[in-house]
Amino acid sequence: MNGTPRALNRVLLFIIGIKLLAVGLLLVLLATVPAVASWWHGWSAGVWTGAENAFRQTRFPGREESWLWIVAGAVLVAIIVAMIAWLSQQGKGRANLLVSSDDDSDVDGEVRIGGGVAEQALRAALAERTDLAGASVATYEFRGRPGLRIRIQPRQGVAPHLLAAEVSQLVEALDLVIGQKTPVLVHMISGARSRFTKAERVR
Amino acid sequence: MTQDQETEKFLAVGPDHGASPVAGEDPEMSRILRRETHSSRAAASVIAAVLVIVLCVYALLEAGVRAVGQPPWLVDPTTAAERIIALPEGISSLLLGASGAVIAMVGLFFFLQAVLPGRRARHLLRDPRTAVVVDDEVLASALARRARTAANVTQEQVMVVVSRQMVVVNVRPTSGSRVSQEAVLTAVQAELEEMSPVPMPTVRVNLASSGVIGA
Repeated sequence: MNGTPRALNRVLLFIIGIKLLAVGLLLVLLATVPAVASWWHGWSAGVWTGAENAFRQTRFPGREESWLWIVAGAVLVAIIVAMIAWLSQQGKGRANLLVSSDDDSDVDGEVRIGGGVAEQALRAALAERTDLAGASVATYEFRGRPGLRIRIQPRQGVAPHLLAAEVSQLVEALDLVIGQKTPVLVHMISGARSRFTKAERVR
Repeated sequence: MTQDQETEKFLAVGPDHGASPVAGEDPEMSRILRRETHSSRAAASVIAAVLVIVLCVYALLEAGVRAVGQPPWLVDPTTAAERIIALPEGISSLLLGASGAVIAMVGLFFFLQAVLPGRRARHLLRDPRTAVVVDDEVLASALARRARTAANVTQEQVMVVVSRQMVVVNVRPTSGSRVSQEAVLTAVQAELEEMSPVPMPTVRVNLASSGVIGA
């Protein structure tokens, strides 16, 4: 439930993938089909002459170099910054506050409850259970609303629906304490620990 | 109707036979559940972004070196362009074809990552309060336990594989004792109906023809 931009990921992967695929196929065709090679010579030579003309017309007054190199550099820097921005979007969305709102009383001010309250309460409640190999709770912000992600690792053979019902009761108790219904995601994972602690072929 | 559409329908309107809804009472949770059962493509995105950054940094270096009139680092952009135009001369066609194939493979990988649905091996469970996502291996180990007690064999003799639409239970009976296929099937099916994962898989039980000795 993090804020990874999935549509953006797919669009950019599509663009990059198509480009690499086209370049790779062109190289393969150049190596194998002679007709493609002759077409390539004509086409790319034309493009290169055009580019050389552009470079010649954009020289610094009184110097050999073209300012198109500066422009190319600026474009590259822009692409690099965009890529870093894209990288930083992956897996974002951790939140600190579970509740942040005005209450109805006459006193001025805001009620804030940190995500740590719910995280630690749930973690403590889940830590006592013997049918879990591990549990972690994290607060995420999804579309402007805080939500809890409970990730539990049941031991081999634990019935997931009964476990879900009991975790659900814990969450309902938490709702009473906090006084607000928070969206909760329960994710039961089969981590390496529950897979390798016992030599069981059951999967 | 495909299984995916079935999941979408459940997420959109909830089950139509009065059971408790999949995503709790919060419509926002159905979006979260959809995201949890599909891959975010974060890993491929990181690889692609790093690749593009490395290429751009190198091009930037050469362009910068050229702009200030210094000698090139690896190859002068003009020379590089002339060599690219001269292809396929100047390089063995085997090397050219091989590098082209590698680049095309990398491109195909990114392309498929963008286009394929990327469903994860997970099922949803119904719960009135929370949204529950369960890895298929957790389902499988619960079903294996049930199948093991029904067949009265040890843990090593049962293997369960859960996929989206199918649960395959492989049982190797103990040599000399009978295992009823129907008993295992009904036990596993009953357990599965109690769990009621979305989408609901069908169960198949395979009894091995050879038994295990001394189990």
